[in-house]
Amino acid sequence: MRTLLLFLPALMLLGQTTHKPAPAKPAANFKESGSPTAPITLELYTDYQCPSCRAFYMDILPQVISQYVATGKVRLVHRDFPLPMHQYTRTATKYANAAGQLGLYDVVAAQIFKTQQEWDQNGNIDAEVAKVVPPAEMQKIRDLVKNDTHLDDTVTSDMALGGRDGLNQTPTLVIVKNGKRQKIDGMVPFNILKSYLDQLLAKG
Amino acid sequence: MKRVLLLIGQVILAAIFIYAGYAKLREPWLQFAVAISTFKLVPDSALEPMAKYLPWAELALGLSILSGILLRWSALIASLLLTLFFAVLIRSYALGLQVDCGCFGSGESALGPLRLAEEAAMLALALGVTIGAFRSAAFRSRSAVSSRTTI
Repeated sequence: MRTLLLFLPALMLLGQTTHKPAPAKPAANFKESGSPTAPITLELYTDYQCPSCRAFYMDILPQVISQYVATGKVRLVHRDFPLPMHQYTRTATKYANAAGQLGLYDVVAAQIFKTQQEWDQNGNIDAEVAKVVPPAEMQKIRDLVKNDTHLDDTVTSDMALGGRDGLNQTPTLVIVKNGKRQKIDGMVPFNILKSYLDQLLAKG
Repeated sequence: MKRVLLLIGQVILAAIFIYAGYAKLREPWLQFAVAISTFKLVPDSALEPMAKYLPWAELALGLSILSGILLRWSALIASLLLTLFFAVLIRSYALGLQVDCGCFGSGESALGPLRLAEEAAMLALALGVTIGAFRSAAFRSRSAVSSRTTI
């Protein structure tokens, strides 16, 4: 019995499973930022109507971008994971992705998150987006939201990939390094994320 | 009969701790750090060491309980740890915190009455094993004294 116990930790380490690798399908370019050759890719799954996603987007993401994406250490990929319990999140996703086709993704996604508490009450995302987009561009966004049948294509592929990654909540980060995908659920404090990324980068 | 019950309890308690440690160790430590942070009890500076070393402590405790070496003390530590975890979960539930217990890795059910009942059952088991182990040790020491007196 005691001999067996000596080997148990070793057997457990051998049995360590990392998250099942799922082939990463590239999102549309406007959802990606940072160097394509960065050693780490961060895939951030969010839902526009989720308060924790808003907090992550407003408080943590800017630090990640300035310290890791802008310095070429991390490539960032936004992925949509609209949760069925949120009534307006699909519409918000459409507006962000329509804006992305006009090169306005970052501005509009930021505005949608920033004003979440306003449109969460009445679903009037259009009014909030119109505050940060020039009228001519806004009309193009409205046309795309209304008529573009492929606007949800990246959402569908993001959700399929999220399903393979075993997502069940937002925000979720998937940290990809050397093809290995590590799913981290929940709101990650920046200091801890920084420490983890630094350790991953130090490993080479 | 009491010895058999104690042995069964010992194996189940050991399995719980070994699995709890293993489930955390197979995931990145960052995941457990996030789970701990949701309780809003631990300073950020302590999250990383806790996330890295607590799973190893659980594993070691489970192995110690399974081996029966110093069973009284390892079962007592397990009881104290589970009492602490239970108190933390009760507090979080009362405050309405959206926590991910992280007890057995990620992807668990949300904190609710069922989760609390599971924790209570584990605590009861640990207390039972602790009491059983102390009684068994006391019985053995009384028997040893009595056999020496007879000789």
